[in-house]
Amino acid sequence: MLLTEFERIIRRSLSSGAMDWLEQKIGLIKTEEKNLQLNLAFSHIPRFVEKKTIALQPSEVAEINQKLPGFDLSGWSADRLARVYLLMQVPDQDKEVYLRKINGLFTAAEMNEQAALYSALPVFSYPQEWIHRCEEGIRSNIGTVLEAIMYHNPYPARYLSENSWNQLVLKAFFTEKDITRITGIKERKNKALSETLKDYVQERLAAHRTVHPEIYKLIEL
Amino acid sequence: MCCNENFRERSEGEKIQTSLDLNDISGMKFFDPHVHMTSRTTDDYQAMADAGIVALIEPAFWLGQPRTGLDSFTDYYSSLIGWERFRSSQFGIKHYCTIGLNSREANNEKLAEQVMEILPNFIFKEGVVGIGEIGFDDQTAAEEKYFRLQLDLAKEAGLPVQIHTPHRDKKKGTQRSMDISIEQGLAPSMVIVDHNNEETVKEVLDRGFWAAFTIYPFTKMGNERMVEVVKQYGSERIMINSAADWGISDPLAIPKTAALMKKSGISLKDIELVTYRNAITAFGQSGQINEADFLTVKNIDQSQKFESNSILRGGQQPRIDKNSIIIS
Repeated sequence: MLLTEFERIIRRSLSSGAMDWLEQKIGLIKTEEKNLQLNLAFSHIPRFVEKKTIALQPSEVAEINQKLPGFDLSGWSADRLARVYLLMQVPDQDKEVYLRKINGLFTAAEMNEQAALYSALPVFSYPQEWIHRCEEGIRSNIGTVLEAIMYHNPYPARYLSENSWNQLVLKAFFTEKDITRITGIKERKNKALSETLKDYVQERLAAHRTVHPEIYKLIEL
Repeated sequence: MCCNENFRERSEGEKIQTSLDLNDISGMKFFDPHVHMTSRTTDDYQAMADAGIVALIEPAFWLGQPRTGLDSFTDYYSSLIGWERFRSSQFGIKHYCTIGLNSREANNEKLAEQVMEILPNFIFKEGVVGIGEIGFDDQTAAEEKYFRLQLDLAKEAGLPVQIHTPHRDKKKGTQRSMDISIEQGLAPSMVIVDHNNEETVKEVLDRGFWAAFTIYPFTKMGNERMVEVVKQYGSERIMINSAADWGISDPLAIPKTAALMKKSGISLKDIELVTYRNAITAFGQSGQINEADFLTVKNIDQSQKFESNSILRGGQQPRIDKNSIIIS
């Protein structure tokens, strides 16, 4: 869906050597039945692609946001961009095979790979199939994984149940995340969340701890 | 690996509380190429960072009791490249690991067979700097079989090997480990022979292997002995580590030994080689160590602040005052 936009950014962000390597791997991934090339290429990306933060034009940010509202690649490193770009090209005609390939990557994912996989939630095929995975990710204690799910990622707001969404918001407050960067934070305000946050405020006050000012915005309904 | 069972002796001893003085080595940086952080606390991470440890390698090892199923291995390897890597980064320490099937569990052949099948899923990951720790424990036939198979895997993958030499029958076990490495076609320069002592070091160095020493109280090397080894053999291809784990061990073994070496008149150049540079040269043959990353992870509290927002990305751990009885 966003392949053209991604391709333009990635061509500019990668060295020609890295781009050639990536394109060759994508060719192999598109034709292989098993997942060997996918697994290896996904892991090997940082050997060829730098970790510097990518530069985006305001027009590109706007374009992506128009096609997939709430999605923003600002702050992504080049290796994460390359990983998500790679994931977008995994053949999805056979649902079972596709799910097995992507789930296989989650099973043995290294710290940065996990962040890339969760960043890719909004571009995976069969979006309903990733709800459980997303909920699992919210239970992670790895800060960068939580941020990949929470920040400028439209998947949770669109697909999570009210309960799971509320867990995400609570976890964000508990782990001191920047609430303003969560896609859908205003749109998905709800009564149950408001009640829980009220209790949380009371608990903080009773413990003589500070209360995050953003909490009050979610309590006013 | 531990354990010493003299707990009565320990408990009866006088309890002395002093503060450790590492001023002699202040400003130096250290690399611990063998430390099992999953069994250490956050206090250890903080103390290591304070003492100048900028990066470390966590070898995959035995967990104190045998695993009974494949998923336990999968989850353990995943934690070495996932959660533990993140935990370390919160203290500004760059975390690498080596992945392998340890010798004790190689004796459970049915399970070992399955573990061999999943190893390729992990050894090519970012920050995996070798196959380890592998080698001999009891020196059984099964241990030898899986040692050889993993040496083949290392050779294929172009990765260094971190060899655990046995506690019992050490000298012969060390010789045999080197013989087998050569037989499987590995260059000695790709093999780090660990847990050396005065009896093994000469042959290891003469044959061109890296000689690692574990500074570990009671059961392995003491650091006064280590000073003598460096005086006698110099600093070429010698490195030290703490191998700190769930036994009585010391995650500050490297900075402490550096301080002792300095007091004993060993040159700063030699200290740097033994406590930092040699390990990077040896394991850097994996292509997975970039010293610039040590600085990136160290500056986590500045570089990971995002768009001047004061909320920490990833969240570096706040420091607590250990000398206060108040916990807030």
